[in-house]
Amino acid sequence: MRFRVAPYLAFAKKAFAREATYRMEVFTNVGSLLARLYLMKMVWVALYAQNAAPAGVPLHAIITYTAIALLMSLVLEIDGTRIIRDRVREGSIATDLMKPINLPLYFFSDGFGQTLLHAVLIVPSLLLALFIVRIDVPSPFVLLAFALSFALGYVVNFLMNFLMNAIAFWTLETFAIQLIIRWVSDLLGGQIVPLIFFPGFLQQIVLALPFAAVYSTPLLIYLGKIPPSAYAAAFATQLAWTAGFAILATFVWRGALQRVVVQGG
Amino acid sequence: MPIIETRELRKVFRSVKRTPGAGGALKTLFSREYVDKVAVTGVTMALDAGELVGYIGPNGAGKSTTIKMLTGILVPTSGEVRVAGIVPYAKRSENARNIGVVFGQRSQLYWDLPLIESFELLRAIYDVSPQRYRENMDYFTELLEMSDFLNTPVRQLSLGQRMRGDFAAAMLHDPRVVFLDEPTIGLDVVAKEAIRNFIAGVNRERGTTFILTTHDLADVERLCRRIVLIDRGTLIFDGAIETLRDGYGTHRTLVVELCAPETHVEVDGAEAELTTPTIARFRFDRRTMSAEALVRRVTERYAVSDISIEEPELESIIRRIYREGYVTEPDGEPAAT
Repeated sequence: MRFRVAPYLAFAKKAFAREATYRMEVFTNVGSLLARLYLMKMVWVALYAQNAAPAGVPLHAIITYTAIALLMSLVLEIDGTRIIRDRVREGSIATDLMKPINLPLYFFSDGFGQTLLHAVLIVPSLLLALFIVRIDVPSPFVLLAFALSFALGYVVNFLMNFLMNAIAFWTLETFAIQLIIRWVSDLLGGQIVPLIFFPGFLQQIVLALPFAAVYSTPLLIYLGKIPPSAYAAAFATQLAWTAGFAILATFVWRGALQRVVVQGG
Repeated sequence: MPIIETRELRKVFRSVKRTPGAGGALKTLFSREYVDKVAVTGVTMALDAGELVGYIGPNGAGKSTTIKMLTGILVPTSGEVRVAGIVPYAKRSENARNIGVVFGQRSQLYWDLPLIESFELLRAIYDVSPQRYRENMDYFTELLEMSDFLNTPVRQLSLGQRMRGDFAAAMLHDPRVVFLDEPTIGLDVVAKEAIRNFIAGVNRERGTTFILTTHDLADVERLCRRIVLIDRGTLIFDGAIETLRDGYGTHRTLVVELCAPETHVEVDGAEAELTTPTIARFRFDRRTMSAEALVRRVTERYAVSDISIEEPELESIIRRIYREGYVTEPDGEPAAT
């Protein structure tokens, strides 16, 4: 059948509008972001007062890193695929399957619409953040590379969330698993501490994990710790994770569908 | 050519056998023993376009399993199924364009957004042309009296309003077949009647085929000429409601209002009962006694101010079939319980 983009644009638009109805939550998000930024700044200032800059990252750079990581989290912490878990538990996945749509794409569009609303908040949050900290701004070329890497990280993040929520097809309850993975991925993804601060051997491991593709790669590009000569390799790694997870997600989705259509959900 | 056709449609669910207790739970974790549960056993039926059929059966009879196979979200274990010429599970998306679904217990509207936004979303999903969308919106808005709450967020709607919204949502893309699952559950009498009128109206004016699954037999009595009864996965009756009534409803009740109060009433050939001193009920078997003869006997004996005859309710017939199973030649036992 002919593929049409219109329904998916509509899904994204509706998700955007739906998210906007929760105004309080949106403002609390920004507030919590600023509070976290202030605390992180205090922590880094205190730590740097005692030690020499690790891995050649000066104080202003680490504060920039922290601020950008927090701004990225506005978008990356939105679990757009939570809808899978909810709909499987409510059983409304059956009604979704009765529509002439591609469901994973529907989930992606819905998640993207939600993300977009929160992405809009980045600009005011950034301006407010400037009252708390000073942020380094790299060259437009680096910014462009950062944006591209961020986009790839977003897709990797989406696919990881998709896989986690798809567990709901088998267990119905995914919250505990997700909480653990969220903590691990925040730490090992470099959202809190740059991965280049990890000791040698551990650093090799965490940089090789998929979590690094979400936060660490774009952030290190922003900071200049991944130089332009290494961009190709960095993007290739992110793309490889995207492809790997996409293939895995396809299999998991097929298995999930099989479960619904054969076992009746 | 029938719009819905099934042949020997069968669905068997296979689940892991669970042993009770903690040891049992551990055992299920490692060993896999399966239990087969037959949900639908060889259902064969054909529905013509424009029919309005009641699909009835007790809980767990296999109704929703059948509907799921017709909507393409469940693959049959064996047998054939076609909806508007399409094998639903093989071409789920294509089938989806031909069908509409309304669940009384589950809304497909966007909870947080104004009702109209859900319609716009469905317009995009089904690629309804702007002109057809306008026509349908006008038609449904008028028929379902939705103009007052089109811009209200769905979560603020009353159940009756929400159901009306769900009906419009299910039919915006002009489906040829619409599946209704308990569409009037929880509604008050006025809202129920509005929904029933709507279904009857659309069926008449647009020739849409409806399959109505419900436990509210008043819906069926009001809307359907034909009913299909399923029990324990097997079709036990498929035909006109009258046929069911004729076969089962051998008894009628003559209700008589008396001019003077009585303490005891009696007439040959009928069981008499006084519900109040001036209202008497005579149950009679219409195969051995005609209503006309009974009326004559009653009026010979008593001064009567009003008379009416009660038909057996579909509900009591169905109740009896659930209890005793369907028999083609039922005996003269009373249908009412």
